[in-house]
Amino acid sequence: MSALLSVSGLVKHFPIRSGLFGRANAVVRAVDGVTFDVADGETLGLVGESGCGKSTTARLLIGLIQADAGRIMFDKRSIGETLTLTELRRGVQMVFQDSYASLNPRLTIEDSIAFGPSVHGIPGATARALARDLMVKVGLDPTRFAGRYPHELSGGQRQRVNIARALAVSPRVVILDEAVSALDKSVEAQVLNLLLDLKEEFGLTYVFISHDLNVVRYISDRVMVMYLGEIVEIGHVEDIYAAPRHPYTRALLAAMPSMDPDARTAEAPLSGDPPNPINPPLGCRFHPRCPCAEPICATTDPGLYVAGARGHLAACHMVIPGSGHSKAQAAA
Amino acid sequence: MNFSATEAPLVEVENLKVVFHGARSVHAVNGVSFTVRPGEVLGILGESGSGKSVTLKTLLRINPERHSETTGRIRVADLDVLALSGAALADYRGGTASMIFQDPMLALDPVYTIGDQIAEAVCRHRGVGRREGMRRALEMLERVRIPSPERRLKAFPHEMSGGMRQRAMIALALACRPKLLLADEPTTALDATVQIQILLLLRELQREFGMAAIFVTHDIGVAVEVADKLAVMYAGEFVETGSVRELMRDARHPYTRGLLAANLHGARKGERLEAIPGAPPALDRAPTACSFAPRCRFAEATCRTERPRAIDLDPGRMVRCILARPAAATSSAA
Repeated sequence: MSALLSVSGLVKHFPIRSGLFGRANAVVRAVDGVTFDVADGETLGLVGESGCGKSTTARLLIGLIQADAGRIMFDKRSIGETLTLTELRRGVQMVFQDSYASLNPRLTIEDSIAFGPSVHGIPGATARALARDLMVKVGLDPTRFAGRYPHELSGGQRQRVNIARALAVSPRVVILDEAVSALDKSVEAQVLNLLLDLKEEFGLTYVFISHDLNVVRYISDRVMVMYLGEIVEIGHVEDIYAAPRHPYTRALLAAMPSMDPDARTAEAPLSGDPPNPINPPLGCRFHPRCPCAEPICATTDPGLYVAGARGHLAACHMVIPGSGHSKAQAAA
Repeated sequence: MNFSATEAPLVEVENLKVVFHGARSVHAVNGVSFTVRPGEVLGILGESGSGKSVTLKTLLRINPERHSETTGRIRVADLDVLALSGAALADYRGGTASMIFQDPMLALDPVYTIGDQIAEAVCRHRGVGRREGMRRALEMLERVRIPSPERRLKAFPHEMSGGMRQRAMIALALACRPKLLLADEPTTALDATVQIQILLLLRELQREFGMAAIFVTHDIGVAVEVADKLAVMYAGEFVETGSVRELMRDARHPYTRGLLAANLHGARKGERLEAIPGAPPALDRAPTACSFAPRCRFAEATCRTERPRAIDLDPGRMVRCILARPAAATSSAA
């Protein structure tokens, strides 16, 4: 499979302004040199804790914010060079966590879904017919729901509307930023089933952002783990869950509550809170919390390195031969 | 954790009903009964709108009095909670029972330091002076393992991280050694690696202080980590209760089973999820039939006309479903 989305060296820093003249006196390094591909037809899961840059990455991918550096290629065309924002948004769409805030409260469901196609030049009547088709596809009866307003719907129904709206311009990639996180468990399962059906029917590619590792494992083909604006590990979902190579990935997995009353978690894998991305630590950004940290980790940024089969990469000195870490293999 | 069945319960709730009146009425809690013994942890599991938080708030009497109507009986440590008023109610809140909330930023006062807030509670309930109150506050910050506690005593809530604020709220809630701790989704807003730290801390302190606790959560994993017994709540009713082990291994109510399946733990890729169809009911009138029937695969005609009885399978093991048969005549409800 070829790369449909290709991201290289992506950087986004947010200056923090304060004082009378609003001088920038600090910088949030939200996304700091991120490189990855999303293959045509796959689901890439994106996990990490708050402040790790996963939502910023999503916003960069769809062009909601401008990158400071780096390149995003969609279907072999580079954004801002050979691909306009309008073209990008026809190919890449997004569903947000807050189903209510992302719908215009003064538009009916039908108008909301038809809005995108009309902007992209489809005549009104055709767009409305398309909206009704899509409502059926996402499990909302158009005769009951077409004329309703967002506040008349439940959270699960609104999220179905958001999914239909994202699909209205026939995108190839849909970015789901915590799209099922605000839903109750029983409704979440319905929406996940819907997402799988739609993926098959329309041949979609998903970038699935979530903090729920059970959901990510269920839906993803590959998983990317972020920490403080960097990718720490990326690989096939089974490799990441069965044989994580980065200590942070291991800690995230160990922090999942046990579902077995006879094998409750005995010890927290990490202590303290995730640090602030304003002044990230030098070297490996995880080293102050890492149980395996050695002097090399505090001085040198490891960078992603091959950690296994099927494109498994990890940014840890322990997987880099000859890195100087005692648990690394000797240099070949 | 073996508690003799003869030990008197610390909390006894009988047929608790809560109705909110306003532009429309909401029957939030519809006849809930349970007991919690000293040192025991009850987890109440449910989705939004199931009445789990209302049940918890009623135990501390913090629902708006003018807009709610509470009937039934609540006894905590031999106090008739629904009859308390004035100074006795103030003694009870924070002294006998105290609560930790989901969002510590909203629960803590932004204009007082952490130390002041804990000391104030200690002074009020223990009748000690401010110096002693501050000493106790420092001791509590050490107990919840806040780094450099002397400095944090003088910190304001906004100067702390989310996990630290949650620790501070736990210190505040436990400062007067309550007999009952009420926890309303205490880890929901936290990151995964912080959530597990707070859960383990709560478990440890609960054991050490020998408190009873009631934990409200929507996350089965969280409930399994902290609770001894579970109650699954749906549309203001307990539909199934039992030990954590019994509910995880042998759930009987179709709703409990659906919730367990929806947790995705062990769900296989590519297989469709067994989702519960539909959505929870509006609670504008008291239930007259099984509230879950419209979403239930196994519903029969009687489910839609009669309220199912609570069937006791074992002591403490209850299922409110016509499919449940007493343990003696188990015909698999599957």
